[in-house]
Amino acid sequence: MSITFNQADLVSVSIGGVIAHPGFPGLPAEPYRLSAEGKPFLLPTFGGIVYNVSVGDRAFGWAADCIHPGVSIRGTDDTKNRGLNVFACVGNVAVVMTGQAQGTKGVVTGKSGRFSEQVIVHFPKEARRKMAVGDQIVIRSLGTGMEIAGHEAIACKGLSPDLLTALPSKVEDGVLKIGVVATVPAHLVGAGAGLTSEGGSLHMQSTDRQALKEAGLDQLRLGDVVAIENTDSRYNHGYLRGAMSIGVVGQSDGPRAGYGPGITVVMTAPKGELGCYQAPGTNIADLLKLEA
Amino acid sequence: MLSDLAGLTSNEDELVEMAVCGYVSQPSLRPGAYTHYPDGRGVILPGMFGITYNARAGDRAFGWAGDHVEPGVSIAHPDEKCDFALHYLTCMGNEAMVTSGLAKGARGVVTGEHARILVDFPDEVYEKLNIGDQIQIMAKGRGIALAEFPKIEFKKTSPALLHALRLSRAGNGALKVPVAMELPIEIMGSGAELNSEYVDQDLMSGDRQLMADLGVDQMRLGDLIAIRHADHHFGRSYREGAVSIALCIHGDSIMTGHGPGILTLITCAEGGIEFEIDKSANIANYFSIGAGA
Repeated sequence: MSITFNQADLVSVSIGGVIAHPGFPGLPAEPYRLSAEGKPFLLPTFGGIVYNVSVGDRAFGWAADCIHPGVSIRGTDDTKNRGLNVFACVGNVAVVMTGQAQGTKGVVTGKSGRFSEQVIVHFPKEARRKMAVGDQIVIRSLGTGMEIAGHEAIACKGLSPDLLTALPSKVEDGVLKIGVVATVPAHLVGAGAGLTSEGGSLHMQSTDRQALKEAGLDQLRLGDVVAIENTDSRYNHGYLRGAMSIGVVGQSDGPRAGYGPGITVVMTAPKGELGCYQAPGTNIADLLKLEA
Repeated sequence: MLSDLAGLTSNEDELVEMAVCGYVSQPSLRPGAYTHYPDGRGVILPGMFGITYNARAGDRAFGWAGDHVEPGVSIAHPDEKCDFALHYLTCMGNEAMVTSGLAKGARGVVTGEHARILVDFPDEVYEKLNIGDQIQIMAKGRGIALAEFPKIEFKKTSPALLHALRLSRAGNGALKVPVAMELPIEIMGSGAELNSEYVDQDLMSGDRQLMADLGVDQMRLGDLIAIRHADHHFGRSYREGAVSIALCIHGDSIMTGHGPGILTLITCAEGGIEFEIDKSANIANYFSIGAGA
Protein backbone atom coordinates (compact mmCIF):
# COMPACT_ATOMS: atom_id res chain seq x y z
CA MET A 1 0.00 0.00 0.00
CA SER A 2 1.14 3.55 -0.43
CA ILE A 3 1.50 5.90 2.49
CA THR A 4 1.06 9.61 1.88
CA PHE A 5 2.69 12.22 4.05
CA ASN A 6 3.69 15.89 3.93
CA GLN A 7 6.76 15.17 1.81
CA ALA A 8 6.74 18.54 0.02
CA ASP A 9 6.82 20.44 3.31
CA LEU A 10 9.76 18.66 4.95
CA VAL A 11 12.98 20.63 5.29
CA SER A 12 16.33 18.99 4.67
CA VAL A 13 19.15 20.41 6.81
CA SER A 14 22.82 19.49 7.14
CA ILE A 15 23.89 18.06 10.49
CA GLY A 16 27.54 17.35 11.12
CA GLY A 17 29.50 15.14 13.42
CA VAL A 18 32.88 13.52 13.70
CA ILE A 19 33.74 9.87 14.11
CA ALA A 20 33.71 9.32 17.87
CA HIS A 21 36.46 7.76 19.94
CA PRO A 22 35.53 5.14 22.54
CA GLY A 23 35.78 6.48 26.10
CA PHE A 24 36.59 4.98 29.49
CA PRO A 25 36.71 6.59 32.96
CA GLY A 26 40.01 7.90 34.35
CA LEU A 27 41.95 7.13 37.52
CA PRO A 28 41.64 5.22 39.75
CA ALA A 29 42.11 2.61 37.04
CA GLU A 30 38.74 0.87 37.30
CA PRO A 31 37.71 0.44 33.68
CA TYR A 32 35.13 -2.20 34.49
CA ARG A 33 31.41 -2.09 34.06
CA LEU A 34 29.21 -4.40 36.08
CA SER A 35 27.13 -7.19 34.59
CA ALA A 36 23.63 -7.89 35.90
CA GLU A 37 25.21 -10.83 37.75
CA GLY A 38 27.61 -8.48 39.53
CA LYS A 39 30.65 -9.56 37.53
CA PRO A 40 33.03 -6.81 36.43
CA PHE A 41 33.72 -6.84 32.69
CA LEU A 42 35.87 -4.94 30.22
CA LEU A 43 34.61 -5.19 26.67
CA PRO A 44 34.43 -3.07 23.50
CA THR A 45 31.54 -0.63 23.72
CA PHE A 46 29.96 2.29 21.86
CA GLY A 47 31.95 4.73 19.76
CA GLY A 48 34.52 4.49 17.00
CA ILE A 49 34.64 2.54 13.79
CA VAL A 50 33.44 -1.05 14.15
CA TYR A 51 34.94 -3.06 11.32
CA ASN A 52 33.24 -6.43 11.67
CA VAL A 53 29.72 -5.78 12.94
CA SER A 54 27.08 -4.48 10.54
CA VAL A 55 23.35 -3.98 10.35
CA GLY A 56 21.88 -7.36 9.44
CA ASP A 57 24.25 -9.24 11.79
CA ARG A 58 23.01 -10.85 15.01
CA ALA A 59 22.16 -8.58 17.95
CA PHE A 60 23.16 -11.14 20.60
CA GLY A 61 26.32 -13.07 21.38
CA TRP A 62 28.99 -10.50 20.62
CA ALA A 63 31.76 -10.07 23.21
CA ALA A 64 30.73 -6.44 23.55
CA ASP A 65 28.55 -4.05 25.53
CA CYS A 66 25.90 -2.42 23.34
CA ILE A 67 28.22 -2.20 20.33
CA HIS A 68 27.18 0.11 17.51
CA PRO A 69 27.42 -1.49 14.06
CA GLY A 70 29.42 0.53 11.52
CA VAL A 71 30.48 4.03 12.45
CA SER A 72 29.44 6.19 15.41
CA ILE A 73 29.54 9.96 15.24
CA ARG A 74 29.11 12.85 17.69
CA GLY A 75 28.64 16.59 17.47
CA THR A 76 31.53 18.75 18.60
CA ASP A 77 29.81 20.00 21.76
CA ASP A 78 26.76 18.99 23.79
CA THR A 79 24.23 21.27 22.10
CA LYS A 80 25.49 20.53 18.59
CA ASN A 81 25.43 16.85 19.48
CA ARG A 82 21.79 17.18 20.58
CA GLY A 83 20.99 18.79 17.25
CA LEU A 84 22.69 15.93 15.44
CA ASN A 85 21.00 13.26 17.56
CA VAL A 86 17.50 14.75 17.31
CA PHE A 87 17.43 15.62 13.60
CA ALA A 88 19.17 12.50 12.29
CA CYS A 89 16.54 10.14 10.89
CA VAL A 90 16.94 6.43 10.27
CA GLY A 91 17.45 6.11 6.52
CA ASN A 92 19.04 9.55 5.98
CA VAL A 93 22.07 9.77 3.72
CA ALA A 94 25.45 10.55 5.31
CA VAL A 95 28.53 11.72 3.41
CA VAL A 96 32.15 11.55 4.54
CA MET A 97 33.58 15.08 4.12
CA THR A 98 37.22 14.65 5.18
CA GLY A 99 39.94 11.99 5.21
CA GLN A 100 40.77 9.02 3.03
CA ALA A 101 37.13 7.97 2.61
CA GLN A 102 36.02 11.45 1.54
CA GLY A 103 32.91 11.34 -0.62
CA THR A 104 31.75 7.92 0.58
CA LYS A 105 28.02 7.72 1.20
CA GLY A 106 26.42 5.97 4.15
CA VAL A 107 23.01 5.60 5.80
CA VAL A 108 21.84 6.46 9.34
CA THR A 109 20.73 3.23 11.04
CA GLY A 110 20.23 4.19 14.67
CA LYS A 111 20.96 6.42 17.64
CA SER A 112 22.12 5.87 21.19
CA GLY A 113 20.90 7.63 24.32
CA ARG A 114 21.99 8.71 27.79
CA PHE A 115 25.73 8.24 28.54
CA SER A 116 26.68 7.80 24.86
CA GLU A 117 24.46 9.98 22.63
CA GLN A 118 25.86 8.98 19.27
CA VAL A 119 24.39 8.60 15.81
CA ILE A 120 25.06 5.23 14.20
CA VAL A 121 25.85 5.25 10.47
CA HIS A 122 26.27 2.33 8.11
CA PHE A 123 29.15 2.49 5.62
CA PRO A 124 30.37 -0.33 3.40
CA LYS A 125 33.08 -2.40 5.14
CA GLU A 126 35.71 -1.40 2.55
CA ALA A 127 35.14 2.28 3.27
CA ARG A 128 35.38 1.77 7.05
CA ARG A 129 38.99 0.62 6.56
CA LYS A 130 39.86 4.02 5.09
CA MET A 131 38.24 6.10 7.81
CA ALA A 132 39.86 7.69 10.82
CA VAL A 133 38.52 8.82 14.18
CA GLY A 134 37.78 12.53 13.82
CA ASP A 135 36.77 12.38 10.16
CA GLN A 136 33.87 14.73 9.51
CA ILE A 137 30.56 13.35 8.35
CA VAL A 138 27.57 15.37 7.20
CA ILE A 139 24.06 13.91 7.29
CA ARG A 140 21.42 15.40 4.99
CA SER A 141 18.70 15.22 7.61
CA LEU A 142 15.11 14.83 6.41
CA GLY A 143 12.07 13.55 8.28
CA THR A 144 11.55 15.71 11.39
CA GLY A 145 8.03 17.14 11.20
CA MET A 146 6.65 14.28 9.15
CA GLU A 147 2.91 13.63 9.40
CA ILE A 148 1.16 10.66 7.83
CA ALA A 149 -2.08 11.57 6.06
CA GLY A 150 -5.10 10.05 7.79
CA HIS A 151 -2.95 8.90 10.74
CA GLU A 152 -2.18 12.18 12.46
CA ALA A 153 -2.22 10.56 15.92
CA ILE A 154 0.97 8.72 15.01
CA ALA A 155 4.09 10.66 15.98
CA CYS A 156 7.11 10.04 13.77
CA LYS A 157 10.50 10.28 15.51
CA GLY A 158 13.78 10.19 13.65
CA LEU A 159 12.03 8.48 10.74
CA SER A 160 13.14 9.29 7.19
CA PRO A 161 10.72 9.30 4.25
CA ASP A 162 12.87 6.57 2.68
CA LEU A 163 12.32 4.22 5.61
CA LEU A 164 8.63 5.10 6.04
CA THR A 165 7.87 4.23 2.43
CA ALA A 166 9.96 1.04 2.59
CA LEU A 167 8.40 -0.34 5.79
CA PRO A 168 5.89 -3.14 5.26
CA SER A 169 2.51 -1.77 6.29
CA LYS A 170 -1.23 -2.10 5.94
CA VAL A 171 -4.31 -0.31 7.17
CA GLU A 172 -6.99 -2.28 8.99
CA ASP A 173 -10.05 -0.57 10.53
CA GLY A 174 -8.30 2.76 10.14
CA VAL A 175 -5.25 1.59 12.08
CA LEU A 176 -1.86 1.76 10.39
CA LYS A 177 -0.05 -1.50 11.08
CA ILE A 178 3.66 -2.06 10.53
CA GLY A 179 5.23 -5.43 9.76
CA VAL A 180 7.63 -6.40 12.56
CA VAL A 181 9.93 -9.28 13.47
CA ALA A 182 8.81 -9.40 17.11
CA THR A 183 7.07 -7.46 19.88
CA VAL A 184 8.80 -6.43 23.11
CA PRO A 185 6.41 -6.97 26.07
CA ALA A 186 6.21 -4.06 28.51
CA HIS A 187 7.94 -5.95 31.33
CA LEU A 188 11.03 -6.31 29.14
CA VAL A 189 11.42 -2.58 28.50
CA GLY A 190 14.65 -1.41 30.12
CA ALA A 191 17.03 1.53 29.96
CA GLY A 192 15.54 4.55 28.23
CA ALA A 193 12.18 4.52 30.03
CA GLY A 194 11.48 8.07 31.18
CA LEU A 195 14.25 9.48 28.99
CA THR A 196 13.79 11.60 25.90
CA SER A 197 12.24 10.03 22.83
CA GLU A 198 13.65 12.81 20.62
CA GLY A 199 16.79 10.91 19.76
CA GLY A 200 18.45 8.20 21.78
CA SER A 201 17.27 4.63 22.19
CA LEU A 202 15.08 2.40 24.31
CA HIS A 203 16.71 -0.85 25.40
CA MET A 204 15.04 -4.16 26.05
CA GLN A 205 15.82 -6.16 29.21
CA SER A 206 17.95 -9.24 28.51
CA THR A 207 19.04 -10.52 31.95
CA ASP A 208 16.28 -13.16 32.04
CA ARG A 209 17.19 -15.21 28.95
CA GLN A 210 14.17 -17.46 29.31
CA ALA A 211 11.79 -14.50 29.31
CA LEU A 212 13.59 -13.15 26.25
CA LYS A 213 13.18 -16.46 24.44
CA GLU A 214 9.52 -16.74 25.37
CA ALA A 215 8.92 -13.30 23.83
CA GLY A 216 10.66 -14.42 20.62
CA LEU A 217 13.36 -11.79 20.98
CA ASP A 218 16.48 -13.95 21.41
CA GLN A 219 17.21 -14.26 17.69
CA LEU A 220 16.93 -10.59 16.79
CA ARG A 221 19.32 -9.07 14.29
CA LEU A 222 20.68 -5.56 14.17
CA GLY A 223 18.35 -3.58 11.93
CA ASP A 224 15.26 -5.68 12.69
CA VAL A 225 12.00 -3.75 12.90
CA VAL A 226 10.22 -4.43 16.21
CA ALA A 227 7.15 -3.25 18.12
CA ILE A 228 7.07 -2.30 21.80
CA GLU A 229 3.72 -2.92 23.52
CA ASN A 230 2.02 -0.53 25.95
CA THR A 231 4.69 2.10 25.40
CA ASP A 232 3.97 5.76 24.64
CA SER A 233 7.04 7.43 23.14
CA ARG A 234 5.56 10.80 22.12
CA TYR A 235 7.33 12.78 24.84
CA ASN A 236 9.79 10.43 26.61
CA HIS A 237 9.24 6.68 26.67
CA GLY A 238 6.70 5.43 29.22
CA TYR A 239 4.13 2.79 30.10
CA LEU A 240 0.58 3.31 28.82
CA ARG A 241 -1.88 0.51 28.11
CA GLY A 242 -2.93 0.56 24.45
CA ALA A 243 0.01 2.63 23.29
CA MET A 244 2.54 1.21 20.85
CA SER A 245 5.95 2.15 19.57
CA ILE A 246 7.75 0.84 16.50
CA GLY A 247 11.52 0.91 16.27
CA VAL A 248 14.67 -0.47 14.72
CA VAL A 249 17.25 -2.54 16.62
CA GLY A 250 20.18 -0.13 16.55
CA GLN A 251 22.85 -1.62 18.80
CA SER A 252 23.77 -5.01 20.25
CA ASP A 253 23.01 -6.67 23.55
CA GLY A 254 25.26 -6.05 26.56
CA PRO A 255 25.88 -7.57 29.98
CA ARG A 256 24.62 -4.63 32.08
CA ALA A 257 21.23 -4.73 33.82
CA GLY A 258 18.63 -2.99 31.68
CA TYR A 259 20.87 -2.93 28.63
CA GLY A 260 19.76 -5.52 26.13
CA PRO A 261 19.70 -4.49 22.46
CA GLY A 262 18.79 -0.83 21.94
CA ILE A 263 15.84 0.22 19.82
CA THR A 264 15.71 3.48 17.91
CA VAL A 265 12.01 4.31 18.14
CA VAL A 266 10.65 5.78 14.90
CA MET A 267 6.86 5.76 15.35
CA THR A 268 4.48 5.90 18.32
CA ALA A 269 0.82 6.46 19.15
CA PRO A 270 -0.96 6.47 22.51
CA LYS A 271 -4.37 4.84 22.01
CA GLY A 272 -4.21 1.99 19.55
CA GLU A 273 -3.83 4.24 16.49
CA LEU A 274 -0.65 2.35 15.59
CA GLY A 275 -0.48 -1.42 15.26
CA CYS A 276 1.77 -4.19 14.05
CA TYR A 277 1.67 -7.59 12.43
CA GLN A 278 4.15 -10.44 12.15
CA ALA A 279 6.50 -9.97 9.20
CA PRO A 280 9.53 -12.21 9.83
CA GLY A 281 12.81 -10.96 8.43
CA THR A 282 11.84 -7.28 8.25
CA ASN A 283 15.25 -5.60 8.50
CA ILE A 284 16.50 -2.22 7.37
CA ALA A 285 19.55 -3.79 5.71
CA ASP A 286 17.09 -4.98 3.04
CA LEU A 287 14.57 -2.15 3.26
CA LEU A 288 17.24 0.52 2.77
CA LYS A 289 19.39 -1.66 0.47
CA LEU A 290 22.51 -1.22 2.59
CA GLU A 291 25.72 -2.03 0.74
CA ALA A 292 27.75 -4.69 2.58
CA MET B 1 13.17 3.38 68.00
CA LEU B 2 15.15 0.15 67.90
CA SER B 3 13.08 -2.97 68.09
CA ASP B 4 13.90 -6.63 68.28
CA LEU B 5 15.11 -8.18 65.00
CA ALA B 6 12.84 -11.20 65.50
CA GLY B 7 15.76 -13.42 66.32
CA LEU B 8 17.70 -12.46 63.18
CA THR B 9 21.42 -11.75 63.36
CA SER B 10 22.81 -8.60 61.77
CA ASN B 11 26.45 -7.55 61.38
CA GLU B 12 25.90 -4.11 62.94
CA ASP B 13 28.94 -4.52 65.20
CA GLU B 14 31.15 -4.59 62.10
CA LEU B 15 29.75 -1.48 60.42
CA VAL B 16 31.81 1.70 60.21
CA GLU B 17 30.14 5.02 60.91
CA MET B 18 31.65 8.06 59.20
CA ALA B 19 30.74 11.65 58.39
CA VAL B 20 29.75 12.95 54.96
CA CYS B 21 28.21 16.32 54.27
CA GLY B 22 26.21 18.37 51.84
CA TYR B 23 24.78 21.85 51.59
CA VAL B 24 21.15 22.97 51.35
CA SER B 25 20.55 23.29 47.60
CA GLN B 26 18.93 26.01 45.52
CA PRO B 27 16.41 25.27 42.74
CA SER B 28 17.88 25.97 39.33
CA LEU B 29 16.10 26.23 35.99
CA ARG B 30 17.30 26.45 32.41
CA PRO B 31 15.90 29.26 30.25
CA GLY B 32 12.94 28.09 28.20
CA ALA B 33 12.95 24.59 29.63
CA TYR B 34 9.49 23.13 30.22
CA THR B 35 8.42 19.86 31.73
CA HIS B 36 5.98 18.12 29.41
CA TYR B 37 2.77 16.21 29.98
CA PRO B 38 2.35 13.01 27.91
CA ASP B 39 0.38 15.04 25.33
CA GLY B 40 3.25 17.49 24.97
CA ARG B 41 1.79 20.38 27.00
CA GLY B 42 4.64 22.19 28.69
CA VAL B 43 4.57 23.49 32.27
CA ILE B 44 7.00 24.71 34.93
CA LEU B 45 6.52 23.14 38.36
CA PRO B 46 8.45 23.24 41.65
CA GLY B 47 9.47 20.22 43.66
CA MET B 48 13.15 19.45 43.29
CA PHE B 49 16.05 21.07 45.19
CA GLY B 50 15.94 23.41 48.17
CA ILE B 51 13.80 23.20 51.28
CA THR B 52 10.28 21.90 50.68
CA TYR B 53 8.38 23.41 53.58
CA ASN B 54 5.03 21.72 53.11
CA ALA B 55 5.74 18.22 51.79
CA ARG B 56 7.28 15.78 54.20
CA ALA B 57 7.75 12.05 54.66
CA GLY B 58 4.33 10.52 55.30
CA ASP B 59 2.50 13.01 53.08
CA ARG B 60 0.85 11.94 49.83
CA ALA B 61 3.10 11.15 46.84
CA PHE B 62 0.42 12.04 44.25
CA GLY B 63 -1.64 15.14 43.61
CA TRP B 64 0.87 17.91 44.26
CA ALA B 65 1.06 20.82 41.81
CA GLY B 66 4.70 19.91 41.64
CA ASP B 67 7.04 17.51 39.88
CA HIS B 68 9.34 14.97 41.56
CA VAL B 69 8.58 16.68 44.89
CA GLU B 70 11.49 16.08 47.26
CA PRO B 71 10.16 16.13 50.83
CA GLY B 72 12.11 18.06 53.45
CA VAL B 73 15.58 19.40 52.76
CA SER B 74 17.57 18.52 49.61
CA ILE B 75 21.33 18.67 50.05
CA ALA B 76 24.26 18.20 47.67
CA HIS B 77 28.01 18.67 47.62
CA PRO B 78 29.50 20.96 44.94
CA ASP B 79 32.55 18.76 44.36
CA GLU B 80 31.54 15.81 42.19
CA LYS B 81 33.73 13.25 43.96
CA CYS B 82 32.55 14.36 47.41
CA ASP B 83 28.96 14.34 46.16
CA PHE B 84 29.26 10.72 45.04
CA ALA B 85 30.70 9.79 48.45
CA LEU B 86 27.66 11.49 49.98
CA HIS B 87 25.43 9.42 47.69
CA TYR B 88 27.17 6.06 48.09
CA LEU B 89 27.71 6.13 51.86
CA THR B 90 24.47 7.72 53.10
CA CYS B 91 21.79 5.26 54.23
CA MET B 92 18.09 5.74 54.82
CA GLY B 93 17.41 6.42 58.48
CA ASN B 94 20.88 7.85 59.15
CA GLU B 95 21.00 10.79 61.52
CA ALA B 96 21.84 14.25 60.14
CA MET B 97 23.10 17.34 61.94
CA VAL B 98 23.11 20.97 60.84
CA THR B 99 26.69 22.23 61.27
CA SER B 100 26.40 25.88 60.19
CA GLY B 101 23.91 28.77 60.25
CA LEU B 102 20.99 29.59 62.51
CA ALA B 103 19.87 25.97 62.83
CA LYS B 104 23.32 24.75 63.85
CA GLY B 105 23.05 21.66 66.03
CA ALA B 106 19.57 20.65 64.82
CA ARG B 107 19.12 16.93 64.19
CA GLY B 108 17.28 15.26 61.32
CA VAL B 109 16.79 11.90 59.59
CA VAL B 110 17.72 10.87 56.02
CA THR B 111 14.53 9.92 54.16
CA GLY B 112 15.68 9.63 50.55
CA GLU B 113 18.33 9.73 47.88
CA HIS B 114 17.40 11.43 44.64
CA ALA B 115 19.87 13.51 42.62
CA ARG B 116 20.27 15.10 46.05
CA ILE B 117 20.14 13.55 49.55
CA LEU B 118 16.79 14.23 51.28
CA VAL B 119 16.67 14.96 55.03
CA ASP B 120 13.67 15.49 57.32
CA PHE B 121 13.93 17.89 60.26
CA PRO B 122 11.47 18.81 63.05
CA ASP B 123 9.07 21.65 62.09
CA GLU B 124 10.85 24.44 63.95
CA VAL B 125 14.14 23.84 62.11
CA TYR B 126 12.84 24.75 58.65
CA GLU B 127 12.42 28.47 59.26
CA LYS B 128 16.02 28.74 60.43
CA LEU B 129 17.62 26.88 57.52
CA ASN B 130 19.35 28.90 54.83
CA ILE B 131 20.36 27.88 51.32
CA GLY B 132 23.98 26.76 51.61
CA ASP B 133 23.83 25.67 55.25
CA GLN B 134 26.06 22.69 55.85
CA ILE B 135 24.43 19.43 56.90
CA GLN B 136 26.50 16.49 58.05
CA ILE B 137 25.32 12.90 57.96
CA MET B 138 26.63 10.25 60.30
CA ALA B 139 26.66 7.58 57.59
CA LYS B 140 26.28 3.97 58.68
CA GLY B 141 24.77 0.94 57.02
CA ARG B 142 26.79 0.29 53.88
CA GLY B 143 27.55 -3.46 53.98
CA ILE B 144 24.75 -4.31 56.37
CA ALA B 145 23.59 -7.94 56.17
CA LEU B 146 21.67 -10.65 57.97
CA ALA B 147 23.57 -13.86 58.76
CA GLU B 148 20.46 -15.97 58.13
CA PHE B 149 19.95 -14.58 54.61
CA PRO B 150 23.25 -14.49 52.67
CA LYS B 151 21.47 -14.18 49.30
CA ILE B 152 19.47 -11.15 50.35
CA GLU B 153 21.25 -7.86 49.76
CA PHE B 154 20.48 -4.68 51.67
CA LYS B 155 21.20 -1.30 50.07
CA LYS B 156 21.24 2.08 51.79
CA THR B 157 19.65 0.54 54.88
CA SER B 158 20.79 2.03 58.19
CA PRO B 159 20.80 -0.10 61.34
CA ALA B 160 17.96 2.10 62.60
CA LEU B 161 15.88 1.32 59.52
CA LEU B 162 16.76 -2.39 59.66
CA HIS B 163 15.32 -2.52 63.17
CA ALA B 164 12.29 -0.43 62.22
CA LEU B 165 11.21 -2.49 59.20
CA ARG B 166 9.41 -5.10 61.34
CA LEU B 167 11.28 -7.96 59.63
CA SER B 168 10.28 -11.50 60.47
CA ARG B 169 10.69 -15.04 59.18
CA ALA B 170 7.89 -16.45 57.07
CA GLY B 171 6.76 -20.04 57.56
CA ASN B 172 8.70 -21.15 54.48
CA GLY B 173 11.93 -19.63 55.81
CA ALA B 174 11.80 -16.49 53.68
CA LEU B 175 12.37 -13.00 55.06
CA LYS B 176 9.02 -11.28 55.54
CA VAL B 177 8.52 -7.51 55.32
CA PRO B 178 5.36 -5.43 55.73
CA VAL B 179 4.90 -3.03 52.79
CA ALA B 180 2.27 -0.39 52.01
CA MET B 181 1.72 -1.66 48.47
CA GLU B 182 2.96 -3.81 45.61
CA LEU B 183 3.86 -2.42 42.18
CA PRO B 184 3.68 -4.41 38.92
CA ILE B 185 7.09 -4.71 37.21
CA GLU B 186 5.86 -3.37 33.85
CA ILE B 187 5.39 0.14 35.27
CA MET B 188 8.98 0.47 36.52
CA GLY B 189 10.57 3.20 34.40
CA SER B 190 13.18 5.95 34.50
CA GLY B 191 16.27 4.77 36.33
CA ALA B 192 16.54 1.49 34.43
CA GLU B 193 19.61 3.05 32.81
CA LEU B 194 21.35 3.59 36.17
CA ASN B 195 23.35 1.38 38.47
CA SER B 196 21.18 0.50 41.47
CA GLU B 197 23.78 1.93 43.86
CA TYR B 198 22.76 5.41 42.71
CA VAL B 199 19.40 7.06 43.42
CA ASP B 200 15.97 5.60 42.61
CA GLN B 201 13.81 4.25 39.81
CA ASP B 202 10.55 6.05 39.02
CA LEU B 203 7.36 4.10 38.67
CA MET B 204 5.60 5.13 35.45
CA SER B 205 2.37 6.82 36.48
CA GLY B 206 1.27 7.89 32.97
CA ASP B 207 -1.52 5.30 32.80
CA ARG B 208 -3.67 7.27 35.27
CA GLN B 209 -6.58 4.83 35.15
CA LEU B 210 -4.24 1.99 36.09
CA MET B 211 -2.88 4.04 39.01
CA ALA B 212 -6.43 4.46 40.30
CA ASP B 213 -7.44 0.84 39.64
CA LEU B 214 -4.44 -0.52 41.55
CA GLY B 215 -4.56 2.13 44.26
CA VAL B 216 -1.03 3.20 43.42
CA ASP B 217 -2.29 6.81 43.53
CA GLN B 218 -2.73 6.38 47.29
CA MET B 219 1.03 6.04 47.76
CA ARG B 220 2.64 8.18 50.43
CA LEU B 221 6.14 9.57 50.61
CA GLY B 222 8.09 7.17 52.82
CA ASP B 223 5.97 4.11 51.95
CA LEU B 224 7.66 0.71 51.84
CA ILE B 225 7.01 -0.89 48.43
CA ALA B 226 7.39 -4.41 46.99
CA ILE B 227 8.10 -5.33 43.35
CA ARG B 228 8.08 -8.89 42.05
CA HIS B 229 10.44 -10.01 39.24
CA ALA B 230 12.74 -7.05 39.98
CA ASP B 231 16.39 -7.91 40.62
CA HIS B 232 18.11 -4.78 41.91
CA HIS B 233 21.52 -6.22 42.80
CA PHE B 234 23.62 -4.63 40.06
CA GLY B 235 21.26 -2.39 38.17
CA ARG B 236 17.55 -3.01 37.66
CA SER B 237 16.81 -6.22 35.77
CA TYR B 238 13.65 -8.10 34.98
CA ARG B 239 14.26 -11.53 36.50
CA GLU B 240 11.37 -13.89 37.06
CA GLY B 241 11.00 -14.85 40.72
CA ALA B 242 13.16 -12.04 42.09
CA VAL B 243 11.71 -9.66 44.70
CA SER B 244 12.83 -6.17 45.66
CA ILE B 245 11.67 -4.02 48.57
CA ALA B 246 11.96 -0.28 48.11
CA LEU B 247 11.12 3.10 49.61
CA CYS B 248 9.05 5.90 48.06
CA ILE B 249 11.41 8.88 48.23
CA HIS B 250 9.89 11.57 46.00
CA GLY B 251 6.54 12.61 44.61
CA ASP B 252 4.76 11.94 41.33
CA SER B 253 5.74 13.43 37.98
CA ILE B 254 3.76 14.51 34.94
CA MET B 255 6.55 13.37 32.63
CA THR B 256 6.12 10.24 30.53
CA GLY B 257 8.09 7.35 32.03
CA HIS B 258 8.33 9.09 35.40
CA GLY B 259 6.38 9.07 38.65
CA PRO B 260 7.11 8.65 42.35
CA GLY B 261 10.70 7.58 43.04
CA ILE B 262 11.29 4.07 44.36
CA LEU B 263 14.63 3.49 46.10
CA THR B 264 15.97 -0.04 46.54
CA LEU B 265 16.43 -1.24 50.13
CA ILE B 266 16.36 -5.04 49.91
CA THR B 267 16.71 -7.33 46.91
CA CYS B 268 16.88 -11.05 46.28
CA ALA B 269 17.28 -12.61 42.83
CA GLU B 270 15.72 -15.97 43.75
CA GLY B 271 12.66 -15.30 45.85
CA GLY B 272 13.65 -15.43 49.49
CA ILE B 273 11.61 -12.32 50.31
CA GLU B 274 7.92 -12.31 51.16
CA PHE B 275 5.77 -9.33 51.95
CA GLU B 276 2.39 -8.51 53.43
CA ILE B 277 0.36 -5.39 52.73
CA ASP B 278 0.15 -3.05 55.71
CA LYS B 279 -0.76 0.57 54.97
CA SER B 280 1.17 1.77 58.01
CA ALA B 281 4.48 0.57 56.54
CA ASN B 282 5.95 4.05 56.14
CA ILE B 283 9.18 5.49 57.53
CA ALA B 284 7.35 8.57 58.85
CA ASN B 285 5.58 6.19 61.24
CA TYR B 286 8.72 4.18 61.92
CA PHE B 287 10.82 7.24 62.85
CA SER B 288 7.96 9.47 64.13
CA ILE B 289 8.92 12.20 61.64
CA GLY B 290 7.08 14.38 59.12
CA ALA B 291 3.41 13.43 58.93
CA GLY B 292 4.10 10.66 61.44
CA ALA B 293 5.50 12.99 64.12
